[in-house]
Amino acid sequence: MRATVSELSRRQGLAIGAILFGLLALGLFVDGGRQLLGDVTGVISTSYLASAFRLTVPIAFAAMGGIFAEKTGVINIGLEGLLIIGAFGAIASMYALTATPIGANAWVALLLAVAASTFVALLFAIVCIEFKADQIIAGLAVWLIALGFAPFASIIIWNRTNSPSVGTFSTVSIPGLSSLPGIGSLFVATPPVFLLILAVPFSWYLLNHTTFGMWIEASGEDPKSLDTAGIDVRKVRYAGVILSGIYCGIGGAGLALNTGQFVGSGDTMVDGRGWIGLTAYLIGNYNPVGAFLASFLFAGLDALQLQLQQIAGYSVSSTLVGIIPYVAVLVVLTFVGRTRMPSAAGEHYESDE
Amino acid sequence: MSRADWRSTLDRLVDASAAERIIISVTSLLFAIVVGAVLVFVSGFVADCPDPFIYFPGAGYGCYNPLEVYWTMLDGSFGSWNDLGQTLQETTLLLFTGLSVAVAFRAGLFNIGTQGQMILGALATALVVLHLGELVPDNVFGTLLVIPTGIVVGAIVGGFWGMIPGLMKAYADAHEVITTIMLNFVAIGIAFWLVQVHVGDLTTDSVQTESIPAVARLPPTIGGSRFSVVALVGALLVAVGVYLLYTRTVIGYDLRTSGLQESAAEYAGVDAKRNIVTSMTLSGALGGIAGAIYVTMVQYRWQAGIPPLGFDGIAVSILAGNNPIGVIPAALLFGSLKSGSLAINLTLGVPNELVEVLRGLIILFIAMPEFFRMVGKHFGFGSDPTAVAADGGDRS
Repeated sequence: MRATVSELSRRQGLAIGAILFGLLALGLFVDGGRQLLGDVTGVISTSYLASAFRLTVPIAFAAMGGIFAEKTGVINIGLEGLLIIGAFGAIASMYALTATPIGANAWVALLLAVAASTFVALLFAIVCIEFKADQIIAGLAVWLIALGFAPFASIIIWNRTNSPSVGTFSTVSIPGLSSLPGIGSLFVATPPVFLLILAVPFSWYLLNHTTFGMWIEASGEDPKSLDTAGIDVRKVRYAGVILSGIYCGIGGAGLALNTGQFVGSGDTMVDGRGWIGLTAYLIGNYNPVGAFLASFLFAGLDALQLQLQQIAGYSVSSTLVGIIPYVAVLVVLTFVGRTRMPSAAGEHYESDE
Repeated sequence: MSRADWRSTLDRLVDASAAERIIISVTSLLFAIVVGAVLVFVSGFVADCPDPFIYFPGAGYGCYNPLEVYWTMLDGSFGSWNDLGQTLQETTLLLFTGLSVAVAFRAGLFNIGTQGQMILGALATALVVLHLGELVPDNVFGTLLVIPTGIVVGAIVGGFWGMIPGLMKAYADAHEVITTIMLNFVAIGIAFWLVQVHVGDLTTDSVQTESIPAVARLPPTIGGSRFSVVALVGALLVAVGVYLLYTRTVIGYDLRTSGLQESAAEYAGVDAKRNIVTSMTLSGALGGIAGAIYVTMVQYRWQAGIPPLGFDGIAVSILAGNNPIGVIPAALLFGSLKSGSLAINLTLGVPNELVEVLRGLIILFIAMPEFFRMVGKHFGFGSDPTAVAADGGDRS
């Protein structure tokens, strides 16, 4: 049951329509929409795009991770929690590394963060696959545990919910491309941005053009026949969930190593990005490229709102801009009909052997 | 199958699993406490403190004694009248949010949106009692008029917010887990924006409404806390009412079947779609009432950063096996954990976020009855009990 092209474009058209409508409504809330439109187009520049890419990192990685887990048949609504673990793990690692001979190395911190997030994802996988836990409830538990644990550990380590500042990733420029006139600044970014730009086509290729991608698809759509073909459904599902842990680890670490601080107060610095990631892959219809585009759209709106407040002095309510992704998903779910979830998602698979 | 057959099947399922549910809940709780103890003990070696309680060669000094932490928590929730008031205050709120989640669960619907329903209900109540409070006499008659009105308004607004995912589920087939999560964020955003820009106290920088008048406050009952026994009694009555609705009435039976077996319910002549909407609306209304009680008993205003009572409600309901009567002890447990968490922070310096970790652990363990079944089998208990869905449902 593949979504047809027309269905896809209708879905995405509607989503974009809903978002544009939301923007228009926002314009009315501010003051004369025409003035706003002028300023919005004025803000769009390469530096704006660069900051939008930076904001896309955690959302898109969470979204792609969510796709891998759900495609294999395990709904992972703990993405937000995994991002929190990734963000906290990266900063705690940076902090701890300063006392070691390695020193505060962002790449090592990223790896450790990925290891932490993957470990939690593995626990989630065991709970769901071995002990047949309800995936929604277990995913919720992952989120709540991370939401409590990260500030808890912050207070233990640093005596407060926010960490002190540690080092960040330094920016990398692509030789040659970065000296291009005009768009050159797009090729100067931090490594997580480049990782994302590599991960999107990689994920798309992995899902659509490899045997492993076929197994993933089958594990979520028709586990029985995958089993009949001699492939262990459990292993494929483990792989899917672990991939979601790896991706969320990179996303969370990319977020935290951008500012060099872990903020554990309130909803933590992750602040709902995992949930936006979930909305992004629903709008992108389980396609990594679609999920990336949706993530980029949401991050772009966020960046726009930030820039408008700085440059034009608009008091655009960031909370109102913040609800646009959620409203967009509600509109899509209501008017385009059910998201076409993998048909065996959420179900346990028991081999007959 | 006729309607009566369905009813007896459901009843049998509920009865058969009741004992097992209690065992699973209690064991999950114990496991969460043990894992929490390990976490506290280990983190004690990372934390700094003037006089550590234990020394391990190689690992260094441990700051936290888990037994002392749990004892302080218990003492901090029941040790004095003030503590008791604090505990019962939390319990009352958790009763409403727990019932809100349970009502949806009974119909096989997963309402993660209680938090949003509560936030909007709380705002509506705050605004109504603020305005109504100026019009009524400042005496007990005024209170009798203002508070019930505020609660009804909170219930209506919360119910409306719960109805939306209900409608989307029934008529557009949109999964309620996704829609209720999304609607939480939308509710938080709308309420924040409304209060910040339009209806709040614009003289302060904090995002809050003005303080509600004395006439709209539930009278405090115990010590220095704001706990009001009126609210607790009301919550207990609602719990019993919900229980009776689902066990003794045809409406309750219809509500239960609609979300579980939509097609079967339709076959038995029940309007399943309408019942899904009704269940979610009722669930949302209970969430709205939780918000109303929060405003009139605890905060005395709407203020940004309402505590995650809705998410705690999920834990309460799951721990209670989604049984409205079971919600009472579960709410008391989480209420005492919450008020006890303040004590461990003040007395021992253990971060009170520990309680949130415990909440997550309890949910996690309850999600995996299979784990306990395997452990049980390993030690020779039980004779392969029938499978039970952990998510509350009479789904199995």
